[in-house]
Amino acid sequence: MKSDNLKRSLGFCMVLLVQLSQSSAPKNPQDFQYKVSMLLREEPANPKCFAEGRKDFTCFWEEDEATAGHVGQYSFTYAYQNENSSRCPLRTHRAADGKRLFICQLNRTQMFIQMHIKVERESVTIHNRSLLVELAFLLDPPRNLSVSQTEQQGQLRVSWVPPEVKYMSDSMMYEVSYAPANGGLPQVEEVQARSEVVLRGLSPGTIYMVRARGKLDGISYNGYWSAWTQPVSMETPPAGFDILIIFLVAIISVIVFLLSVTLIMSHRRFIKKKIWPAIPNPESKFQGLFTVYGGDFREWLGHTNGSLWLRPAFFSSEECPSPLEVLSELSLCSQLPTPPLPLKASRAGPVERQGEEKSSRKEEEASGGMGVWREPPHDHWLMEQLRAFNRLALPSSQSSLLESQDAYVTLDAQQQASTEVEEHLDDIMEESSPLEVLFASSESRSDLGSMQRSSGSGRLSSGSSLEYPNHTWPPKGPGYTYMAVADSGVSMDYSAMSSGCVNVVRKTQVYNEYKNEIWSEPRPVLTRQSQVYNGW
Amino acid sequence: MSQKIVRGLFALLLIVLEWTQPCLPSPLRPVCDLRVLNHFIKEARDAETAMRSCLEGCSLSESVTVPQTRVDFDIWERKTAEVQAQEVQSGLWLLHQALSLLQSSVTNTALQSHLDNSLRNLLSTNAVLRSLNFQEYVPTDGGPDGEDTWRVSTATELLQVYVNFLRGKVHLLLSGAQACQQDVS
Repeated sequence: MKSDNLKRSLGFCMVLLVQLSQSSAPKNPQDFQYKVSMLLREEPANPKCFAEGRKDFTCFWEEDEATAGHVGQYSFTYAYQNENSSRCPLRTHRAADGKRLFICQLNRTQMFIQMHIKVERESVTIHNRSLLVELAFLLDPPRNLSVSQTEQQGQLRVSWVPPEVKYMSDSMMYEVSYAPANGGLPQVEEVQARSEVVLRGLSPGTIYMVRARGKLDGISYNGYWSAWTQPVSMETPPAGFDILIIFLVAIISVIVFLLSVTLIMSHRRFIKKKIWPAIPNPESKFQGLFTVYGGDFREWLGHTNGSLWLRPAFFSSEECPSPLEVLSELSLCSQLPTPPLPLKASRAGPVERQGEEKSSRKEEEASGGMGVWREPPHDHWLMEQLRAFNRLALPSSQSSLLESQDAYVTLDAQQQASTEVEEHLDDIMEESSPLEVLFASSESRSDLGSMQRSSGSGRLSSGSSLEYPNHTWPPKGPGYTYMAVADSGVSMDYSAMSSGCVNVVRKTQVYNEYKNEIWSEPRPVLTRQSQVYNGW
Repeated sequence: MSQKIVRGLFALLLIVLEWTQPCLPSPLRPVCDLRVLNHFIKEARDAETAMRSCLEGCSLSESVTVPQTRVDFDIWERKTAEVQAQEVQSGLWLLHQALSLLQSSVTNTALQSHLDNSLRNLLSTNAVLRSLNFQEYVPTDGGPDGEDTWRVSTATELLQVYVNFLRGKVHLLLSGAQACQQDVS
């Protein structure tokens, strides 16, 4: 009983072992079973044959367990071209899924010659095939696969030992498959006749799984792809600071810095003006006010030629009533007695004289409708203002009523500034008084024209602008004579309003004279006046 | 008088030098790159493919002797390099004869060009062998003995033999040539 139990248990164990050995999945790629299963998938012809080396050769075919007969029923015969046939001893092997394998193994083969194979079962040919042995290689996978880092970023060097087959290492080709360990499509690199390769274009700091397989290149020898090697993992070097990139970045930053510095230096004045605008300093207008008198204006006034500046309106330029306003009070066209502004004593004489002459002339030549001309005092005052204005230097910075008015009269010989206009005007002054010129024009225009020409410049005719008109002045309603002066130094703008006054007429004259002139620079007041009239 | 003697001696010297041929032809650089042979093999395969698809005007007029292409590694490795070279060279010679005969009997123009190519490649293969310092062997009249030859009667068989011979024995001879082994090892 005990022995029976022992035997039974032993037999049971053996059966179990056999079952385990047969049903175990082939894990080793060099396993025969693996090759068989691979060929069963890939080779359609029967019997399936492969050579593992230079001398061995294996053929097999598969049959269902149910229909398979005893191995003795089958015969495997092969014959090389022009040679007698030979028989190959068969052995059988149970495979998975209820299949049975019949295997023939040869130890010596002839290559480069046709081999005719015939499989018979009880004298009935079940399989027939002709093949060349050297074209059916199924080698073992490459051995000793190793992966290492190179000095370069994103690269790995893969090397292996080719299968040990003499004469055929030069005819091998390999496939190296690599993929990131954490997922991603595997990429394949083909290698011809070499046993190492450098993988490029890899992500830095990533673990890659690399495996390889081999095959004969198909020119002299051919076969099937071997099984993949066991995957080997290796991490690519981490992304480090590339010296070249750092160098380039440094150079670019230096260039940008130099560019910006150059730009700033070339436009430093402009930038300085924008960032740190200069506070307007009236030092240039008040010579010595700040340097000598330390800002004490009264003192400074006391030490300068204050005669010109003794106007209450002067101290607050902003509130200084413009000549426009002042003159409006005058109303030259009405019977107002005297102008509000006092006249200079220096100008009194000639003005009076001229005024007398003018009045006499006016009385002579006044035509109907020009009652204005019958008011010599106003006219006289106006002329005086004009003269006084012109006497002052044009480039004077501050504006004052007198200054503007003085500039209006350019008839005096006294010169303030070295402007061309005034020089020319001086020439005229030597010849005659403006009033004389004014009245002389009525005599002959040609004279005036000559005078103009003699002036040498269009501006000279500013004197002639005072000519007495030939024709009747257009009667205008009583109005104001406005001489608005906005002085900003050299240029003076006058805006004259229409009136039946003298200066209006004169403006007309001015306009007529100057309509063909070319104005290119700041002109004296008179010319401006004409322009202003145009604007009107 | 002395001048005449000098001139005569000078001429004699030249004659003697020319006769002895002191300047031997420089040895060829060995062609160890198997890609050359691979190229020939590919072209031979193209010719075989063209022959298979040829229907008319592509037949041998008579049977020809071709070399044996089979290689048993055990036997092959036992042979010496000289014997191997002899075997290869005689086989090439036979193939040359056979292909020339085929070329004369083929009328298909495409096949003609392939055969022209093959004949040129055979001559180049001989040159390659010469560059590897294999002693030149010219078969005697009648060709090599029957053990290493057999007869084919179809053009397809002939071209198959041609391809197999190049892939087999010629390739083995070149890959194992001593002249190339020294460079590699």
